[in-house]
Order: sequence, then structure tokens, then C-alpha cells
Amino acid sequence: MVKLSRTFLLVVCSIVLLTMLSGSATASVEYFEEEIKIGDGYQINNYVIDVTDVFITDKLAVFKVYENGDGEPIHDEMIGINESFKFDLGNGEVELKLLSVGSGVLNRASVFITVRNVDTYLTGIVNGGHEYATYSGTPILEITTTVDVDTMVIGDFVKVTVNAKNVGDDKAVDVRFFIPPRLEGFSLDDEVLELTVDDVTIEVGNTYRVYVYIYEATNEGSFTFKPTTAIFQNSAEVDFEASSTTPTITVTAPEVQEVPKKNAVLELSTDVDSMIVERNDKITATINVKNTGDAPASAVWINIIIPQGLEYVGGDSAIEIISGVPKIYMGSFGVQQEKEYPYTVKASELGTYTLTTKLAYEYDDGVEAETQKVSNESVTESIYVQKGKYDELLEQPIYVYLLPLMVIVMIAAWIYHRHNQYKFG
Amino acid sequence: MLNILMVGNGQCGNRIIDAINKQAFGGKTKFAKFYSKQKFKSRVETIVVNTAINDLKELKHTKGRDRIHIPHLHGVGANRNVGKTVFIENKDLIMRQIEDRGRFDVGFVITSASGGTGSSFTPMLIKELKERYDFPVYAIVVLPFREEGTLYLQNAAFCLRDMRDSGADGVILADNQFLKQLGGDIESAYNGINDMIAERILFLLDALDSEMMMVTDLGDFKTVMDGGAGLATIGFYKADKDVPVKTAIQKALSPSGLLFSTNVYDEASRAMIIIKGDKSYLSIDDISNEVEKLSSAVGHVFKGIIVRNGEYPQVLAVLTLESASELEKLYAIAVDAIHHERDKKIRVEDKKELDKAFSQLDDLEPHY
Repeated sequence: MVKLSRTFLLVVCSIVLLTMLSGSATASVEYFEEEIKIGDGYQINNYVIDVTDVFITDKLAVFKVYENGDGEPIHDEMIGINESFKFDLGNGEVELKLLSVGSGVLNRASVFITVRNVDTYLTGIVNGGHEYATYSGTPILEITTTVDVDTMVIGDFVKVTVNAKNVGDDKAVDVRFFIPPRLEGFSLDDEVLELTVDDVTIEVGNTYRVYVYIYEATNEGSFTFKPTTAIFQNSAEVDFEASSTTPTITVTAPEVQEVPKKNAVLELSTDVDSMIVERNDKITATINVKNTGDAPASAVWINIIIPQGLEYVGGDSAIEIISGVPKIYMGSFGVQQEKEYPYTVKASELGTYTLTTKLAYEYDDGVEAETQKVSNESVTESIYVQKGKYDELLEQPIYVYLLPLMVIVMIAAWIYHRHNQYKFG
Repeated sequence: MLNILMVGNGQCGNRIIDAINKQAFGGKTKFAKFYSKQKFKSRVETIVVNTAINDLKELKHTKGRDRIHIPHLHGVGANRNVGKTVFIENKDLIMRQIEDRGRFDVGFVITSASGGTGSSFTPMLIKELKERYDFPVYAIVVLPFREEGTLYLQNAAFCLRDMRDSGADGVILADNQFLKQLGGDIESAYNGINDMIAERILFLLDALDSEMMMVTDLGDFKTVMDGGAGLATIGFYKADKDVPVKTAIQKALSPSGLLFSTNVYDEASRAMIIIKGDKSYLSIDDISNEVEKLSSAVGHVFKGIIVRNGEYPQVLAVLTLESASELEKLYAIAVDAIHHERDKKIRVEDKKELDKAFSQLDDLEPHY
């Protein structure tokens, strides 16, 4: 049982007063004055100063200092009255001065102990010495917040696990966890796997699962989890606190999956059966249309442009003459559909010509609201119209042909007339 | 320009008209009608009449509208009596055809004297023409081969008599018997005779309507034809080489140049001589000498000269006859023929007597 004496309080007050008067004090100092019997000890935190002998006559006393009550003393000092000795305690220092010795059933020594720069949490006389002192450790809780993914997209789920592991040398008792509020940008799934936050004891080396949450990302951005904190005590009821790690999650917007556009690709070609013809010969041209795209075409128009010097004669039944232009119209043209349209032209005049086929159509690409309009054209290679076998004759003035013809007709008419004149019966 | 009517009756008349039309085209081929024009100086209307349609069909150079078919079986079978009846029945048809051709200055009717249709139609047609019109009408009559048969001979005899009674202004004779000297087969002989007659008539028609160095005209022709016994013939010569006109005249008046065998210096009454050719051949002295020689024998001779540059001399002589010894011979043969036909007819009637003998067997049957 530790008991502070009135004297000690006075000393403390005087020291405080001195400190106040002397200006600023940067280090903590504590003072203890006790009368300790042989065999007893004085405990400062986990250090115990045992009084092993008191020599009245010699006015000496022997002190041994033990740490955590284990093994050999770290200090073994015999000092006379008004003598002192020091030893380190952590970062601080403890000085013990022998004030007096007294006799009795058991001899006793009065001591004055000065503790500098030590955060004391346990002080007092220990009957029986260091073997009977109560020692305490330091529970250290490593609280970790872990996530199963560190990057995710909106709508994805992340599993958040908070564990607390006691990596100290004393158990943590009366542990209370403080769960941070829900992270902005996430929504908490209904399912909470584990959640126990009060009156928890965590033994040294044990790991305690605080909770497991499932979050759903609702916003894109980079989010850092707020820490889960805990307050707890060690076995000596000393208070501690701890805070968890704070992982960061990057949430990205979900990739917009593009719907592939479809195309109607009408390949157009025009072939002719002969590139060199004589005048008045006929040329057969064939229009080939094939949809190599992945969408059907609609409102397909094919215009056949016949140059002057060539003359349209006829062709496929699908070819119509509209305003003097041969045209083909198809309401629809399916994928991979292929059609051929032959037609014939007559080479009326000498020259070099090409046949042009113009194509226009529409299609729905499956994405845009408006139908897509496409036009293209194909042009044949040059067609050479040469003089015909009888062109030399045909180049003569018309009367050259008409006059003999008229003469022949007149002769024939005359012969017919004469034949009728001389016919009988 | 003269308006001349030419009618050919029967097969012979048809063919001579066709030959005239052919030669008028100037071409030698049958196609001449298709490319040539007839070279008549005058307006010449040719008409052929026949009861045999096949005879009309075989014509090549006569217009269809000029071929008048008188339907009666396929001819009258050389029977002039039947022919006369048929003509009477179809007279209006024939005369209407002639009427439709307009006005004429002279008419020629050509026929064979021996056939059926021609020999019977011609005298009656001439009679009708003379009754209806006032233009002179001359008959050109072709006499048969003497050996052609009794029917033909008697037809010729009666035809000539009827012709004389018809009022014809003259009869120009052509004699097949005399012309057979042309030789060749029977068809080529007939064609040659027809062509020969056609050539002379064309020359005559040309001469009647030509401008001449010395003029002869239709009036002269009428005067010539009025002379003699109403019979006439034509002499003709066409040189095919350089021949003096004197020789040409002599050849035209010689038997080889005449259509009917006669001695012109003995039997001719009047004459008309037309000479045509390049003026280098037309020696007036020679012509006068020959004409004088003829006129001293026959009386008056009309002469005409037509100049045709580059042509060899041609001579046509129209001669009327006071007498025709050859015709008398013909009639003598014809009379024999008539008797012969009569005898045959009697024999045929005798066969009828035989029929009477057969008739005794009527109602009887042989018994065995």
C-alpha cells in the first residue's frame, strides 16, 4: 500500500513554488520521502529499490535496485547518511538520498527520492521487496484497415477489414473502438460481417477483428479511409490509445462500353465486255453491287450516266428510264447481298468514253438517330470507239446514198408500173 | 401528129401487133419495155383482140389494157361462122374499147386470112369502123401456107372476099407461102415473118408522119391505096452495108423485098417509094432514075426521102395491084379446098347413113 506523507506534500508544494518562482521548468521532477524497513522496497514503475541492510551504528544502509523483479539487481549501493546514488530509468533519472537510519524490530532507512523526467504511473513502498511488487507492461494495438482492392470503379464493391493486433507486452483491456463515419463516395452494404467494439480484451500477440464492411463505390475519386481509433488500458489500468492505418482507394468511373457502329458498305463496280469497238457496235456493261458491310442498306439509287456519243439500248428489267436517265431503285439491300445489272449501249459516234455509275444509299448504323447517307460512283476504263467497216461509206453526204436509192426505187417503181401495164390475165 | 389505130385480130394479128410494139421500143430484148420508150412518131394506139386467152397471154410487148379477150371457149376453132357470131355478140365491147381511145386519122387492122377469129372478126370490124368513123381503114392480111390445110385455105378465100365487101380502103397482102423462104423452124419462120411485117409497117408509120426532104403523107398513101383493085403489098430493103440507093430501090421492088409475090412492073397500079438514109447515099439522080423506071411501068409513083444521118439506105415501097396472079392461084387452090371440104362433109353424112344401118339392130339381141 503506497501512502504519501504530509511532509512529502509540503516538499512537493515547495518545489512547485520554487519552480514557479525560478521561471520556466522544462523537465518533470517528482520527489518522494519514505521510511523503508529492511526487506521492503520502493517501486517506481517497474523498478523496485530494495532495502537489504541498515546499519545503525555505522549509519549506513544498503540498497539494491531491480528491474521487473528479474535476476540480479541493476544497482547495489551502500551509502551513508546524506549520501545518495543515481540510476537511469528509461530516459529519466532516479536519485536516492539516505536521510537517516532507525532501529526497531526491523531497522529502517529514511530516504529522499528524486525522479526526474520519468512518467510515473506506479510508485510506493512494496512490502517484501521486489519479489512482491506488481509489475505492468505496455499493450500496443496495431489497428489495420485493409481493403481487398485499391482501385475500383463506381459500382464495384470493396471489402474493408479492420483488425487490431496487440503487439505490446501487456494485454489490452477495456478496449473501445471508435468506428469512423461512412466514407463519402461509398455506400455501406447491408451486410456487416462483424462488429464488436466495446469491452474487448486483447491478449498479447492476439489479433482481434473489429469489423468487416462491404462498401459500394458511388463516386469516382481518390478516397482515404478515416482511421478507426481505440482506447484501452493495460493490466495496471493505465490508459492507452491507438489509431488504425488509413488506406486510400481510387475509384474511377466505369468505362462506357461503346456500342460498335454498323456500316452498310456497297461496293460498286462496272465492267464492259469490250474496250475497243467499232461504231454502231454494241457494248454490254454490267453493274455489280455487293454489300460487304454489316448493316443493310436502304433507298438504294443507281444512276447510269451515258455520255454523248453512246446510246442506251436496253438492259435488265430493273433498269427504268426516268427523265432520260437509266436508273435502278432498290428499297433495301441486305448484308452480303450481291446483284448484277447488265445493260447495253450502242456506240453511235467515234471517240473515247467512260461509263459512270453513281450510287446513293442510306443505312442505320445502330447508334446515331439519323440514317447515314452514302454516295459513291464507279467509272469504267476508257472505251474506244473506232471507225466501223462501212464508216467510210456512211461518211458521205446523205444524198450520195439517197440518190442511188431514189433511182433504184424509181426504177423499181417504173418496172413495177410497166409490169402492171403489160400484165394480162 | 397523126392518130393511128392499129388492131390485131386473132393469133397472127396479135403477134404482129406485139412485134410492132417490140420494135417500137427499139430494143432487141424482151426487157426493152422496162427501160425504153416506144419511138412512134404518131400517136399510135394498138389493140389486140382474141377469143383464145392463151394467145393473148403469150404477148410480151402489148399493154394489158390493149389486150381484149372475147370469151368463147379457147377460140373459135378456125370456124369463121362461129367467129362471126362471137363478134356480133361482143361487138359493143370491142367498139367501146376503140371509142375510148379517141379520134383517129387512119386505121390498120391486121389479121391472118386463114384463122378463125381474125379472119372472121376483121371484115366485120372494118365494116363497123367504116360505118362509125370517117377515117380510112386498111387491112393487112397474111395469107396462109398453101399446104397449111383446106380449112385455112377456104377461110382465106372467104375472108378476102368479106374483106373486100367490108368497105376497107385497101388490103395489104403478106403471104406466108412466099415468105417461108426465110427458112428455119416453123416458130422462127413465123416470128421472122411477123418481124418482117412489123418492120415495114413501122417504116410506113414513120414515113407518114416525118418531115421529109421530099414529102409523102397520108393523103399520098390514100391515093396510092385507092388505085388498083384494092389490093396492095409492100416492098422493103434495108442495107446493112454501104449500098447505092439505086440498088436498094431495086432490091425493095424485087420479089425478095416484097411481102406478096408479084411482078410490080406488070401488076402494080400505083406506088409510093420512101427512101431513108444518110444524105451521102441519097443520090437524087439514082432515085429519079429508078422512080422513073417504075412510073413508066405502073403510072404514078409518090416518092419521099427521109434523111437519117449515119444510116445505111432503107427503101419502103407501097404498091397497089391491078391484078394478082398469085392471088388467083390461091383462089384456085382454095376452091379445090372448098370442094375437098364439101366432099368430106358428104362423106360424113354418109357415115350417118351407116348409123341408120346400125340402128336396125335396135331392140335385137344376139342368140347363141
